[in-house]
Amino acid sequence: MDLIDASAVSKRYGGIAALSAAEFHAKAGEVHALIGENGAGKSTFIQILAGAVRADAGTILLAGKPYAAANPSAAQAAGISSVFQELSLIPDLTVEENIWFRREPTTPFGTVTRRAIRKQTIDLFERYAIPAARPDQEVRRLNLAERQVIEIAKALARDPRVLILDEATSSLAPRETEWLLALSQKLAAAGKLVIYISHRLQEVRAVASRITIFRNGATVAAHDMNAVGDDQIISEMLGRRLDRLFPERKPTATDRIALRIRGVSAGQRVRDIDLDLREGEVLGVGGLQGHGQRELFQALFGIGKAKGSIELWGRQVSARGPQYSLTGREGIALVPEDRRGQGLLLAKSVRENLTLAVIPRFSRLGILSRRREKALVDEMIEFLRIKAKNPDQPAGTLSGGNQQKVIFGKMLLTEARVLLLYDPTRGVDVGTKGEIFTLMRDLAARGYAILFYSSDLPELVHVADRVAVMRNGTVAGVLEGAAISEDNILKAAMFEPRAAAS
Amino acid sequence: MSAGAEPVASAFAPGGARRDWQTKLVDRGPFLVACVMLAALVAIYGSLREGVFTLEELNIDTAAALTLLLAATGQTIVLLRGGIDLSIGGMISFGTVIAATQFGDFGQTAGWIVAILAIGLGVGAVNGLLISILRLQPFLVTLATWSILSGAALLILPTDGGQLPEAWMSGGNATILGLSTSVWILIVLLVFWAWFRSTRLGITIRATGSNEKSAFLSGVSLTFINVATYGLSGLFAALASLYLTTQTGAGSPTIGKDYILPSVAAAVIGGISLFGGRGGLVGTVIGAFILTIIGNLVFVLSVSSYWQPIVSGVILLIAVLASSLAERSARRSLT
Repeated sequence: MDLIDASAVSKRYGGIAALSAAEFHAKAGEVHALIGENGAGKSTFIQILAGAVRADAGTILLAGKPYAAANPSAAQAAGISSVFQELSLIPDLTVEENIWFRREPTTPFGTVTRRAIRKQTIDLFERYAIPAARPDQEVRRLNLAERQVIEIAKALARDPRVLILDEATSSLAPRETEWLLALSQKLAAAGKLVIYISHRLQEVRAVASRITIFRNGATVAAHDMNAVGDDQIISEMLGRRLDRLFPERKPTATDRIALRIRGVSAGQRVRDIDLDLREGEVLGVGGLQGHGQRELFQALFGIGKAKGSIELWGRQVSARGPQYSLTGREGIALVPEDRRGQGLLLAKSVRENLTLAVIPRFSRLGILSRRREKALVDEMIEFLRIKAKNPDQPAGTLSGGNQQKVIFGKMLLTEARVLLLYDPTRGVDVGTKGEIFTLMRDLAARGYAILFYSSDLPELVHVADRVAVMRNGTVAGVLEGAAISEDNILKAAMFEPRAAAS
Repeated sequence: MSAGAEPVASAFAPGGARRDWQTKLVDRGPFLVACVMLAALVAIYGSLREGVFTLEELNIDTAAALTLLLAATGQTIVLLRGGIDLSIGGMISFGTVIAATQFGDFGQTAGWIVAILAIGLGVGAVNGLLISILRLQPFLVTLATWSILSGAALLILPTDGGQLPEAWMSGGNATILGLSTSVWILIVLLVFWAWFRSTRLGITIRATGSNEKSAFLSGVSLTFINVATYGLSGLFAALASLYLTTQTGAGSPTIGKDYILPSVAAAVIGGISLFGGRGGLVGTVIGAFILTIIGNLVFVLSVSSYWQPIVSGVILLIAVLASSLAERSARRSLT
């Protein structure tokens, strides 16, 4: 018997059907992958399972009994725990308070017993070999990867029958990803059902035994994992054959140096970095998460204090803040890590988001020209193929991939030709990923210089001209040409500082 | 160097234990700044007047601060939830008016005390329901209930006056074991907080203020939390009104407005974040005492009493600056 047996599940938001008659059948003891492009309805479906959203129609059976969770608590009580893409942690509570939130052991006086919580936390960490974090640290002090692990720990702490992992590895480094994959299989072996949602096909293949594919709110197919090829999965996801995820990489770099970094240090995590980014080049930045990549990007964009010399197109710049970085064609632009928090005003329209940073370009004497703004916006929407009903649609209602395109548009409108892309494909569907890579190579060919960090190794290997591997806040090595491989990047990141620098 | 000698770097490289104390210091910065400011004000006050460091002075100052402190306790709970409660002004006026017109013999008084507390709780609960069910702004909802309660208070007692029973007054100003009623209430309040802050409800209120959506996804009923939060705030406003009558001996349909903004100020000076989730009652106690001591100073210096709001404003700015620095540090570590 199936543990989860969902038929004809539908959900509409206003006039838009997020799910139309979706089917999902999964057994206990398997890792079941659920894949599809952003906007295919995966998130809606698991939110229904998790009790965050209610279905309009359809039936869901949990172990043969009708299941309809009215709220997240009800879902959890029924044994379904979710690790959401949007984290459910409370920033001002500590790690352990978060893990046991609302299920804390209490004294007869109704107060929470700290010691019991600590013990439970340590037991939990040991039981699932959870990468260590300090139980008494406030969550707002943790980075995304650390938070993600705590989020998973929180779900595990409920000892669920069904564990839903929604893009849980998107912010994890390779080592934590390995841990999660192994853990998923261990849980399945113990008779649980793990529903695994990821855009990374490699991972899905490594971990799942069954796969269900969603497209446009409906179920396209379900397969045994070992009976289906990657091409078939991708074509079922997209509804068309995808040529190739990664575009052809023609060297377009010139000798002209766009961004020269000498002896740059920032905070405690970036130490004495030298790098040259050339016109027409995509320079990858790799390494394990938390080794200063984020801080380097921030320092280059002028967030926080940095020491050392930064030259843009041969001119020394003082990196004082984003507003100083945005100076037309000589400038520098950033695609930040957390697009929903830092890159976009979710409630504002696509149009306003696109033009926010470049209002002077279509205003004269402080007065905006709507006509000129509209021209720029339309041009950008068409160039990037942003799927929005109209330019006034709120950015927050777009799919993840389209949100990312809006950020790209905003960045391109600044006319800056040195681009800092920090994990631009995080949580973006395969189709849009391909478009982003094509766009990156296209921009490079037009003379843009691109510094590109990715948490996904194959992206660095296939898109970048060179890869600078960071380790402990400094550049451990720069890989070039044939030396760029996942193995070499990992080696440089973990063991031998100068291994493949030749 | 051999590869083996190099420890495999973890992605979880901690920020470093050595920075731990710094982090803690910045986090507690607003609270520490408040402590320093209170110490400085007390020192100045002590140097200007004899007998500042006596139990008697403690009794007097606590009595002066307690109404504000009770109101600010409710406000603290609401601020931790990430809201604001203006209706406490109306509730305080309303409470004093009821007390001044209805209190009589022991039975009557006891009955009406329960009634006033119930009204406070009820009005707060209604605030919470309006905010959650109609999804209205706390600021506007409580502004409206403030106005309604103020009007009701004026209907019952158009001008200051009324009569409080002798026993009620002397009870509110008694001295037990050398400590005044007000100090005992303060002690009970602190014990209450020590308990409340580590109950599930206390943690949940703080968590909801820290991140409402996360709390919801973790299974928190926002309606329940709002009803509980604003209900408690109303209850504390009712307590404040009761205590106030022991000090003024009369009812006043307009006195409550004097506590609305100071209750917020006391909490903010004590390090409660207006964004919710951070701070505690001890800070608010310090904030309330700071505001009270400023009043004393103005009196001792025999300068115009208009200096009081000016100095209070400056202190508030310093407190806000400290909070903002802490906030910034927290956000920087987040990115």
